[in-house]
Amino acid sequence: MTKVDQFESVFRAAAKQLFEYEPYRAQKALVVTDLERAEAEELGARLRAFLSVLEAERPLEWRHVSGDEFRSVGDLLRLVADCKPDLICTYRHLHSDAWTWPHSLGEGLDVLTQATQVPVLVVPHPKAARGHIHALENTDVVMAITDHLTGDHQLVNAAAGFAEKDGTLFLTHIEDELLFTRLIETISKIPEIDTDTAREEIRTHLLAEPYDYVRSCQHILQRERPELRIDDLVVMGHRLKDYRELIDQHEVDLLIFRTKDDDQLAMKGMAYPLAVDLREIPLLML
Amino acid sequence: MERMSGLLFLAATEETAVGLGVTLFFTALLVLMILALALEEKIHAKKSVIVAVFAMVSLFLGDVFHLLPLGAIELGGHEIHLPVYIPAIDWEVIAIILGSSLFVDVTSRSGLFTWIAIKLTKASRGDPLKLLWCYGIMTVVFSAVLNNVTAMIIVGSLTGVSLAKLRKSDKLLGFLLIEGLLTNVGGLLTLISSVPNIIVGNAAGISFVTFFVTAAPYVLVGTVVTLLLGAKLFTIRGLANGSEREEALRLVSSFDENDGIESRGFFWFGTVMTILFIAVIASASQLPYIEDLKLGYVALAFATIMLTRFKAVADKFYQAIDWDLLAFFAGLFIVINVMEHAHVLDLIGRGLAVVIGLGDNVSVGCILFGSAFFSSVTDNIPLAAMLAKILGSLQTDPESPLWWSVVFGANLGGNLTPIGSASTLVAVTIMHKHGVVLGFVGFIKKALPYAVVQIVLATGYVYILAMIMA
Repeated sequence: MTKVDQFESVFRAAAKQLFEYEPYRAQKALVVTDLERAEAEELGARLRAFLSVLEAERPLEWRHVSGDEFRSVGDLLRLVADCKPDLICTYRHLHSDAWTWPHSLGEGLDVLTQATQVPVLVVPHPKAARGHIHALENTDVVMAITDHLTGDHQLVNAAAGFAEKDGTLFLTHIEDELLFTRLIETISKIPEIDTDTAREEIRTHLLAEPYDYVRSCQHILQRERPELRIDDLVVMGHRLKDYRELIDQHEVDLLIFRTKDDDQLAMKGMAYPLAVDLREIPLLML
Repeated sequence: MERMSGLLFLAATEETAVGLGVTLFFTALLVLMILALALEEKIHAKKSVIVAVFAMVSLFLGDVFHLLPLGAIELGGHEIHLPVYIPAIDWEVIAIILGSSLFVDVTSRSGLFTWIAIKLTKASRGDPLKLLWCYGIMTVVFSAVLNNVTAMIIVGSLTGVSLAKLRKSDKLLGFLLIEGLLTNVGGLLTLISSVPNIIVGNAAGISFVTFFVTAAPYVLVGTVVTLLLGAKLFTIRGLANGSEREEALRLVSSFDENDGIESRGFFWFGTVMTILFIAVIASASQLPYIEDLKLGYVALAFATIMLTRFKAVADKFYQAIDWDLLAFFAGLFIVINVMEHAHVLDLIGRGLAVVIGLGDNVSVGCILFGSAFFSSVTDNIPLAAMLAKILGSLQTDPESPLWWSVVFGANLGGNLTPIGSASTLVAVTIMHKHGVVLGFVGFIKKALPYAVVQIVLATGYVYILAMIMA
């Protein structure tokens, strides 16, 4: 190692992103439905039981919105603005029968996730009967997923906050194998770069960063939440397919991921396909 | 090597008289080479190529003018046929540089140096002033133990990363400049810290321990003064309140000193070998057999031991060797050897003898200032090699302060300009990499106060040495 860049690489790799713990706090939850009042309250009660972990220290203030309270997305946004909730609970295709075709989210949810800063909990559609048998029972298995886990303290804190006291939290990072393969194919055409070394080193470093961050999360959460089990899943793969397999394999009760991207109005990266495809379990979209 | 030098010396003295015209012609050639080296950046040529061109031309013209002692040489009762340019090279110097750079390169893979660097960063708790002192001391120690360029690369690259992490990138210029200047102070500490030390120490027969004991007090004072001046001129201050200190500590704690360590076993092996290397180098003149084989052997032997760890991929380390530097030395020694046969060194020596004849009070200062000036505008290695040869041929006492004038002048002169030494050039390169632009004149303006203070301090120190030695 005789070059500035070589040593800078070593020092940059040694500068880890450490997790910063901040307990997740919510005071007010808004349950948005297109149901009759009685059905809306019934769903609200079920959600309250599902999210009982949020009321471990003090009860949440719940507000149930029935179908007759809004007709348009504008009405919905006004309701949210008036209520100022810390959490919105809803489902796909409000005031629409498009839920029968599992190809989109519906305009209400699409706008809610992007136009407000409030986390949105998306549950399986009440009429669809697509939910997993364990869906909406409890949150003893929570999975946080992202395409860039490192440094996303808010995501990890929210995931830890939604997980039951003695539950399991999976911190998941799946690097896109297809993208990686394409990169290596390009490198293989550059004579100045040794392809085998590049493949080995890039793979190692791509996974090392999120893995180190997960270790830091584990270290700090073990101190703050000693009974919570933290598992890491940092792998290369075809993300959607792999997430689906992991969710089934571990019987995940709640999946948490980010949807907002400062650079675009649409949902970020994998968020949209995940939100459309994974209809069997509740999703918390930050 | 001494025997070879002796043979060459005999060969030179056996020569017939050389005409003044020929001597002046070769002097012009030498001046031309020094000028070309000073303009290395402008002519876009590597040092090794510049010197190689002059070496080839000198050899050819040396033969044309019948200056070279051609024929077989006798070594241990055996006649050996060697090309005239082979014994012209000081292989001991080449072996020290080759062996120690290989040793340092392989040892750095153990993660030892980065471990020390990150530990010190954490010890500063992210306080800029403490960080400056930690990095300053680390620069001096690394320059002394490793070499100036490697020290600057390690500390400079860490400085860029850690200041960015601490959100103090505005202090990057100050940190890098002070570190660059300290490499040349630290480079004075031991016999193997810099090439002029190796050349002069070898020529004067100064042992490692004597060199260290003589240079250490100056290095200590020079380091402290440079750091105090740097903190003042670049307004590098400690953190003001508790919340700032807490935030800095949090940021600096995220460095993992163990990240660069791939194998614990190799880390400890590297640590033990580094300590042993310094110990053996320090005591080489006292150790049986080693005293005959000299420092070059020690450096090569330790490099070989370290290479066994990477025996299957050792060629990767050979690729990383600074062949430009080694070829530069080889060419330089050839040029100087030809100049010796052309009586150019005699001519310069006669001028130097006049200065020396003025007495220690004048000559010590003149040689130190002269060496510093020439080192600032051109490479300090040809200067050190030439002056060492001349002082040797003038039968200068090994305890004479004149050797130290050359050592201090040649090392510290590098701090006057960005091209004066390789390590300050590395510092400027790192600055540019981080978007901090510092041109030739800008560097001189910023570095001048430090360089002047260091050179004045060194002059005073060599006068004290002269008094003690007298």
